[in-house]
Amino acid sequence: MQANNRTFYWIPYVLWIALFVVAPLLLIVYYSFFDLNGNFTFANYQNFFTPVYLTMALSSFWYAFLITFFCLIIAYPAAYFITHSKYKQLLLLLIILPSWVNLLLKAYAFLGIFSTYGAANSLLETVGIGARQILFTDFSFVFVSVYIFIPFMILPIFNALDKLNPALIYASRDLGASFWATFLKVIFPLTSSGVKAGVQAVFIPALSLFMMTRLIAGNRVITLGTAIEQHFLVTQDWGMGATIAVFLILIMIVMMIVTGTRKKGVL
Amino acid sequence: MTRDSIIRFDRVTKAYGPNERVLNEVSFDMERGKFYTLLGPSGCGKTTILRIIAGFIEPTSGDVFFNGERINHVPANKRQVNTVFQDYALFPHLNVYENIAFGLRIKKMRKAEIDAKVKEALKFVNLPGYESRELSEMSGGQKQRVAIARAIVNEPQVILLDEPLSALDLKLRTEMQYELRELQQRLGITFIFVTHDQEEALAMSDEIIVLNEGIIQQSGTPTDIYDEPINRFVADFIGESNIIDGVMFQDFEVEFAGRRFECVDKGLRPNEPVEVIIRPEDLAVTAAESGKIQAKVDSQLFRGVHYEICCYDADGNEWLVHSTKKAVVGDTVGLDFEPEAIHVMRLNETQEEFNRRLESYSAGGGQNAGK
Repeated sequence: MQANNRTFYWIPYVLWIALFVVAPLLLIVYYSFFDLNGNFTFANYQNFFTPVYLTMALSSFWYAFLITFFCLIIAYPAAYFITHSKYKQLLLLLIILPSWVNLLLKAYAFLGIFSTYGAANSLLETVGIGARQILFTDFSFVFVSVYIFIPFMILPIFNALDKLNPALIYASRDLGASFWATFLKVIFPLTSSGVKAGVQAVFIPALSLFMMTRLIAGNRVITLGTAIEQHFLVTQDWGMGATIAVFLILIMIVMMIVTGTRKKGVL
Repeated sequence: MTRDSIIRFDRVTKAYGPNERVLNEVSFDMERGKFYTLLGPSGCGKTTILRIIAGFIEPTSGDVFFNGERINHVPANKRQVNTVFQDYALFPHLNVYENIAFGLRIKKMRKAEIDAKVKEALKFVNLPGYESRELSEMSGGQKQRVAIARAIVNEPQVILLDEPLSALDLKLRTEMQYELRELQQRLGITFIFVTHDQEEALAMSDEIIVLNEGIIQQSGTPTDIYDEPINRFVADFIGESNIIDGVMFQDFEVEFAGRRFECVDKGLRPNEPVEVIIRPEDLAVTAAESGKIQAKVDSQLFRGVHYEICCYDADGNEWLVHSTKKAVVGDTVGLDFEPEAIHVMRLNETQEEFNRRLESYSAGGGQNAGK
């Protein structure tokens, strides 16, 4: 009886996973083996290894890396500052708040700010640098993406830092370590789980960003995400789109494995 | 200062606000190579003193000296002091070896030297061969030893211990008390031990500093403090005592519980109001007529080593007696004691006045003055 009851509780979850995770994944893999005319083929996979898609994959990686990197550079000190602040909860709320605003709204807001006659250019004018093209550049793409993803980086790092026993920092100082040595040998290794979680939360979605590439980067940046969208909606080549998606999933799995392993006893 | 002083506090005050004084003009002088205990209830400022010595906080006013040099603004990592923390504060991402080697690696010591020192430190704390263990595989007592090894391996001049035994069970705690004491004597370095456990303090220390509300109440050897507490707080905190209001009738004669008794104290004003202490183990239960005080047995507890007997005399004073012999609840018994068992405390006496008074006893041949 007991065991039966317990399996019963699993049913909604299993159904959900089967319908909305497993089935779509299988469908993607299934579609990746068909060409435009509905014939079974491996050509899509061959196509992926042509320079067109490889450069696209590489540029996806590059931008995802840049976005993750800048997020981390900004988020770690910010999280450190918040944990040591008196107004921890308020600051945390201020960081979470923007993530409640719809992504599209934020993107459109930046269209206004970065446009030729927008706030950013007015500022540059008054400073004396002069107006320039900000929108539809690599800079604006990375900038807006970092802005959007930063809460997802700050939160796990904040949690890790907040859980860190302050006595460990005292102990490190007590044993002769300077602030930097303490950071490198104690604080960072002990919060690396938060950094890994943050990297996962930013890097993987950043790999498949597609809307931002059109709105902010003006299609000058073409990532794998953009390519999938174009194949499904514009060229109607579902097979090729699905193939790219398969590769994207594989890359994500690799990322999960790389950032997910727990290392012990490393300096 | 002729003594070999290692740490000196000169009127050190630590305040977190105008009305929040954690330490209030604390001054003391610690000698090299001794075992000191800072004893007091929680919030008395003992941990604050430890943190000021370690360099984690700076005093609001007053000076701290280390080997005669003022160290108020020297950061923690530049002090020749190491701490054993209350919750051990071992680095969970490092194994036993790396935890102990932490300080040595910071000093950029050579690998072979680190190896030798870590092994030696582990041997010192009776954990040889534990180098490659992970912390998660170790018990509380073992972690405690690793924390001690991590401190001693740096060969500091002073080791600070912040209630290091409070997380251990009673048996292990007693065992570690012996080990710590022995370790301190072998190493010959100064230990400053913080605890709220008076038995621990009495068992381990060369000298005890009793604190309450940021003020040093009394400092001295364990026997001094136990036998001659300066005031009601110390008497109450160090062991159990019977404290009764009395009047110093004249030298060697004190009045309390409605009668006059012979005692060994002198040098007080005639008819000065005082407090009288008699330790429960100094009271003996006798037949009612042969005791100096008659009291009725109210309750009795068996404590293993002795019976704890609670009696009330005719005036309603409570008398706690530790006796190996059983009493009968409801009986009237006599309480007997020696003149030396009576300790007279003046009200609001400072430590200097108190010491002067004790010294005058030994000059006059009194046997109560300690060493």
